[in-house]
Amino acid sequence: MSTAVLNNGVIHVSDQCKACDHCTSICPTGAIQGRLGEKHHIEIRKCINCGQCLINCPFGAIDDFSMVNERIRKALDNPHQFVVVQEAPAVRVALGEEFGLAPGTNVKNKMYAALRKLGFDKVYDTEFAADLTITEEGTELIHRVFNALGVPGFEHAGPLPQFTSCCPAWVKYAEDNYPQILPHISTAKSPQQMFGAVSKTYLAEKLSLDPGTIYSVSVMPCTAKKYECDRPEFIASGYKDVDAVMTTRELAQMIKTAGIDFVNLPDERADQFIGSSTGAATIFGVTGGVMEAALRTAYEVLSGEALGKVDFQAVRGLDPVREAVVEVPVKALGGKTLPVSVCIVTGTRYVAPIIEDVLADRSNYHFIEVMNCPGGCINGGGQPIRRDTY
Amino acid sequence: MSEEIKGKILKHDTQTRTMHWIHLLAFIILGLTGIGFYWDIAGIANIFGGPANASLVHRWTGVIFTLGPTLYILLNFDRFSRFVDTISTFTRNDFAWLKTMGGYVPFIKAEHTPPQEKYNAGQKILGGLIIAGCLLIIITGFPMWLWRDMLSSAFLALCYNIHFWTAMIMILLVAGHFFLAAIHPKSRVEFASMMLDGYVDAQVTAHHNAKWFTQLQKIE
Amino acid sequence: MHIFAEKAGMTRRQFLKGSGLLAVTVIVSGIFAKIGIDAFAAGDNYIAQRAAGLYSLDEKMALRKSHENPEIIEIYREFLSPGEEKYLSAKAHHLLHTKYGKNIPAFIEELKAPGQNENSHEAA
Repeated sequence: MSTAVLNNGVIHVSDQCKACDHCTSICPTGAIQGRLGEKHHIEIRKCINCGQCLINCPFGAIDDFSMVNERIRKALDNPHQFVVVQEAPAVRVALGEEFGLAPGTNVKNKMYAALRKLGFDKVYDTEFAADLTITEEGTELIHRVFNALGVPGFEHAGPLPQFTSCCPAWVKYAEDNYPQILPHISTAKSPQQMFGAVSKTYLAEKLSLDPGTIYSVSVMPCTAKKYECDRPEFIASGYKDVDAVMTTRELAQMIKTAGIDFVNLPDERADQFIGSSTGAATIFGVTGGVMEAALRTAYEVLSGEALGKVDFQAVRGLDPVREAVVEVPVKALGGKTLPVSVCIVTGTRYVAPIIEDVLADRSNYHFIEVMNCPGGCINGGGQPIRRDTY
Repeated sequence: MSEEIKGKILKHDTQTRTMHWIHLLAFIILGLTGIGFYWDIAGIANIFGGPANASLVHRWTGVIFTLGPTLYILLNFDRFSRFVDTISTFTRNDFAWLKTMGGYVPFIKAEHTPPQEKYNAGQKILGGLIIAGCLLIIITGFPMWLWRDMLSSAFLALCYNIHFWTAMIMILLVAGHFFLAAIHPKSRVEFASMMLDGYVDAQVTAHHNAKWFTQLQKIE
Repeated sequence: MHIFAEKAGMTRRQFLKGSGLLAVTVIVSGIFAKIGIDAFAAGDNYIAQRAAGLYSLDEKMALRKSHENPEIIEIYREFLSPGEEKYLSAKAHHLLHTKYGKNIPAFIEELKAPGQNENSHEAA
C-alpha cells in the first residue's frame, strides 16, 4: 500500500482535462506537462503533491489519491482496531463551507462530534502536536542561535538560518531541488507525524493499549500529507506513525454519506491526554503562524520573562514573502538584546532566491518559515474548493 | 406576376463576398477543431498535427475570424450601418412573414407572403443572432488563450462554457443558413450572389424582396 | 441587360444604428471584462476569511503559548523527559525528529536496528 503514493504520487490529472493550461501557471515546480490544447499530465518526479492545481482546476479534472475506502473505512469497520483521529487547525475554519457556512466559521466542536459519530474511538487534535512542535522546533532554533553566538555546549546544533519543517510539500521541494539546504531544515517532524508517533507510544501507555492495535488517522487540509504519512522513515514509534490521511473535502464527504446533520451537531470537546491546545497551535494553519507561535515560546524561554503582548502583527499578512525583526532580551547573554531576524514565505515558487542567499552566505535571517500554499494551510490542496466570483 | 422583369441586381459587392468567404472558411476550421477538442476526437486533432497544433490553428484562425469582420466594418461602415438598420427594423410585414415563416416550413401554409426588404424577417433574425454569437465567441475566446494564467478558475470555466454553447448554437444556425441558401429549391438562387459573382435576377428579387426592389427601382 | 445597384452612403438613422451596434459591442465586452476582473479580485477572498477565522480562534483561547499547554507539560514530565520539562530530550529526539534526503535510508536502518538505544540520538 505504501508504495502507491511514493511511486505514483498523490495528484493525478483525469481524462476530464480540457487542456486549458491554467494549472501549469499554478504549479510551483513545473511538474505539469502539456501545452495549451494538449491533455496535461503530472511528472511524478517533480510533483510535490501540494494539490494547488487540484483546487484551482476550472473543470475539477484533477484528483487526489484517496485513502478513505481502502484504509480508513476498513480500520473503522475492524473491531480489533482502536482508531484515533487528529485534525489540523486549518480544517476547522473551512470544513463548514461544505455545509453552507461562511469561510472562516469555526466548526471545531461540531467536527469533534461528527468524528465520534463516524466511529472514531478517540478524537484528538493536531493542535496538541503543533504545541509539541513548537517546544521542539523552537528549542532547536534557540540551540542553533546559541551555537552561532559561540555559547559553549551547543556545538552540535545545526546551522542558521533554520527553516521550518511542517510543510511536506516544501520539504520534498528542498529534497528534490536544493539538497545542500537540508541541514538548515529543522529536524522536528511535522505536527501530523509527531501526533502519530505520540499516539502509538505515550497514548498507548496512557490508555493501556497495545500500540499495534492503534490506527492513527489524520484529517488534513493538505494532499501532500498523504505522501508524508507514507514516507518510510516515520517508524520511530516501532509502528507507522500515521496510518492514513484524509482531506477536509473527504471528511465532509464522509459526513454527508453518513447522513449526519453537521450544522446542528452539538458542541463536543476533544479527548484527554493529546487533545488540548493553545492559540499558538491554532494559528499554525495560516502563513506566519508557525513563526508567531515559535516567537511566543522562544521569547519567553530566551528572556525568562513573561511576554505581555502575544500578537506579533509584523509576521502576519498574506504577502508571499515577508520579513520582520523581533528584539529579544536574552537572559543567557546577561540580558543583552538579540535582534531575531525572521522571514516568512508562502508559495514555494518564491523560496528559491532565499535559498540561494542562504547557500551563498548572504542571508541574515535566523528563522525562515516556508509554506507551499498561498496563505498557508488554510488554502491547502485538501481544502473545500471555492469558486467565488464576486 | 404578370409583367416580366429583366435585369440583374448587384446584391453583395466584392468586399462583402470576400468577408463572407473568409468568415465561412474560418468558421469551418474553428468548428472542426473545436468539436475535436470538446469530444476529444483524435482523428480531427491529427488532421492538424496533433492536439497542441490543432489548438494553435484554432487560435490563429480565431484571429482571422475576428479581424475579417472588424476590417470589413471599418472599411465599409456605410454598408454595415445599412445592414444593421435593415436587420433591426421589424415592420408589420416582417411579423406577418414570421407567422407563416415565409412559406419555408413544411405544413405551414403560406397563401400570401408579405413583401420583404433586402433581407426577409428570417434572415434579419439570423443576422442578429450571428452578430451576437460572434461577439460572445470572440470575447470568451481570447481570455482563454491570452490570460489563462491569471484568470480565476471560475471565470475561465465560464468562458469555456459560453464559448462552447454559443459555438453549438452557431453551428446549428449556420447549418440552417446553408440549407436555405444553397439547397432549398425556393431560395437556392441566392447562393451565387454571395458565393460567386454577387448578382441576383431582378425577377427573383421582385418576388422575394419586393419592398427592396421597389426602392431600387426608385433610385433608377 | 439592366443592372440595378444600391445607393452608396447612409442616412443619419443608419449611421446611428451602425455606431449604436458598435457601442453595444464595446459595452458588452466591458461588462464581460468587469465580471472577469471581479472574479479575479474575489477569487482569493476566502483565504483572508479563513485566516481571520484562525486568528479570532487564537484570541479566544485561554492559553496562547505552546509551552503553557498543560498536556504538553504533562507529556514531558511523564514521558519524554520523566520528572522534568526538558525539550529536545533523548526520547523526544528519537520520537519527534527526523532526517531528510540522502540520510533517510541509513536513518531507517538505525530505527529498525534491534535493541537500539534511545540515547544514541543525542546529537543531530
